[in-house]
Amino acid sequence: MKLHTAMKVNRISDEIWEIPVTQKPGMLVPARIYGTESILQAMDTGVFEQVTNVACLPGIRRYALCMPDGHWGYGFPIGGVAAFDVRSGIISPGGVGYDVNCGMRLIRTDLTLAEVQPRLDLLMTELFRRVPAGVGASGFVSMDRPSFDRVMTKGARWCIEQGYGWHRDLERIEQGGCLPGADPSKVSDHAVQRGMNQLGTLGSGNHYLEVQVVSNDRIFDPETAAAFGITGQDQIVVMVHCGSRGFGHQVAGDYLKVFEKAMRRHGIAVKDQQLACAPFLSEEGQDYFSAMNCAANTAFANRQVITHQIRQAFAAVFGRSAEEMGMELVYDVAHNIAKVERYPEGELVVHRKGATRAFGPGSQDLPACYQSVGQPVICGGSMETGSYLLVGTTRATDETFGSTMHGSGRTMSRTQAKKSIRGEQLQQQMKQRGILVKAVSMSGLAEEAGFAYKNISEVVESVDRAGITKKVAELRPIGNIKG
Amino acid sequence: MPASFRFLDDVALADLAFDAEGDTVQEVFEAASQAVMEAMADPETVGAIWTRRAEHAGSDLAELLFDWLSGIVYWKDAAGVVFSRVAISVTQAGAEWRLAATLTGEPVNRATQELRNDVKGVTKHLYRLHQDNGRWRVRVVLDV
Repeated sequence: MKLHTAMKVNRISDEIWEIPVTQKPGMLVPARIYGTESILQAMDTGVFEQVTNVACLPGIRRYALCMPDGHWGYGFPIGGVAAFDVRSGIISPGGVGYDVNCGMRLIRTDLTLAEVQPRLDLLMTELFRRVPAGVGASGFVSMDRPSFDRVMTKGARWCIEQGYGWHRDLERIEQGGCLPGADPSKVSDHAVQRGMNQLGTLGSGNHYLEVQVVSNDRIFDPETAAAFGITGQDQIVVMVHCGSRGFGHQVAGDYLKVFEKAMRRHGIAVKDQQLACAPFLSEEGQDYFSAMNCAANTAFANRQVITHQIRQAFAAVFGRSAEEMGMELVYDVAHNIAKVERYPEGELVVHRKGATRAFGPGSQDLPACYQSVGQPVICGGSMETGSYLLVGTTRATDETFGSTMHGSGRTMSRTQAKKSIRGEQLQQQMKQRGILVKAVSMSGLAEEAGFAYKNISEVVESVDRAGITKKVAELRPIGNIKG
Repeated sequence: MPASFRFLDDVALADLAFDAEGDTVQEVFEAASQAVMEAMADPETVGAIWTRRAEHAGSDLAELLFDWLSGIVYWKDAAGVVFSRVAISVTQAGAEWRLAATLTGEPVNRATQELRNDVKGVTKHLYRLHQDNGRWRVRVVLDV
């Protein structure tokens, strides 16, 4: 087997690979990578280096993990999962990601492709108008500092209080859309100034709003799908991928600087500057955790305001209320986050960076409606291929700190993708294939071409076979909005 | 040789990397600033009705450039603008470097500007400012 590393990699099973602690000085636990042999062979050198760097961080428990959609990231690999003891372990912005609480949201409808297709152009135009995207976009919610402080502490709950959504939405958001311990006094003025006008905006890069269709032949688990409100019959659903925008980035950047100094004081050495960290219970660690929770809550609020705008757009185009069209939330889940969770080892600070929480049936953290089936897991593919709805398993809880994949992962740089195709050409090609795209930036659109991404189906198959999530349905795009 | 920058094909797949260089410290600062501005919008399509003057000082030249480039990204979000030009002066007084700059641009306008990436920040990944055969060079990865 030819890999992009000289390290010894042992096969644990067809979908689990382990790098022993002997492969790098300072490793405290082994590193484990999930994926088929072909996925492992395609992984870049960065994954092997970074996941073993993570295995050296103080207080790490069990394994440093990487999911099959893993690739190089800042500090941790994208797809990285690591859990640290609350008392002896660290917290690191490099294990959360710059876009704090970047995540996925899925909204179901009772509408069918036959009903939506004739008005798809109008619908996408209306969505494009109501959900600002791209460089410097500002949202419709006017915000002053006291209001933004409440967004930081209340998250999606603030939106519901303002009328941007339904109260029952909250139970279908990870942790009710509001992480405790958010303290706005730990957030810099720079971060606030960057974030205050961005509520309800998508951003750019790989963020999107997508109208999708679920056909009967792409439902793999009808019983679980039904519990999630997914019934097939060419059903229309809407997926949103975005996070805390410039606000979260500023929080991460601010605390990386704080942690660079704090590490010297706490006597911590790391293999990579972007793994800067502090003991979780130190003043710096707690300050970052409070600020990160502010950014995470803002991201939940961002996706909630966008959901309100999506419901308004559908109501305007189809002349019926969102309730009448059954536009219920399926779920909202973060894939860039650090949270304190309880495992057999005790309380751990679980970092998921480009990895999704995937709790199985019976978890106390799930709402009553999902107790018997497990948590919905939403994984976005490229805008040309499709996305997946999966379900968490008890095996994930046991093996991967309740974590799984988050998307497909890039295989080509943005600069190279732009050289391969023009945005206008891609937009036309996708239209011919029945996918209507509205984009602020044509060069940004070219960067997101399907050929720049891995095949998501292979990644999904590998987590399904590993048993850390199970396939529920495939979602095919028919309309996409990009920044 | 004139100051220049180029975006890189094979570095940081999910983000945007560039190399900038110049004969002087001021030139490499100018080239890197131009790259950040062009990553966000085509300056040729951006007007000049918004200006902001900034001053930074420090003994670490690489940190000075990092903070300045991060400042360009900050103003994009805080003022909702993109940029058409920048004038920079970098001087040395003893151990301290001083930067004085004027950013010019206009509020984001989808109808008239060629908008590109919504850059979220400057990162320290592969970040290195150095002098090589008398030429100043820096590699920067922007998080998009």
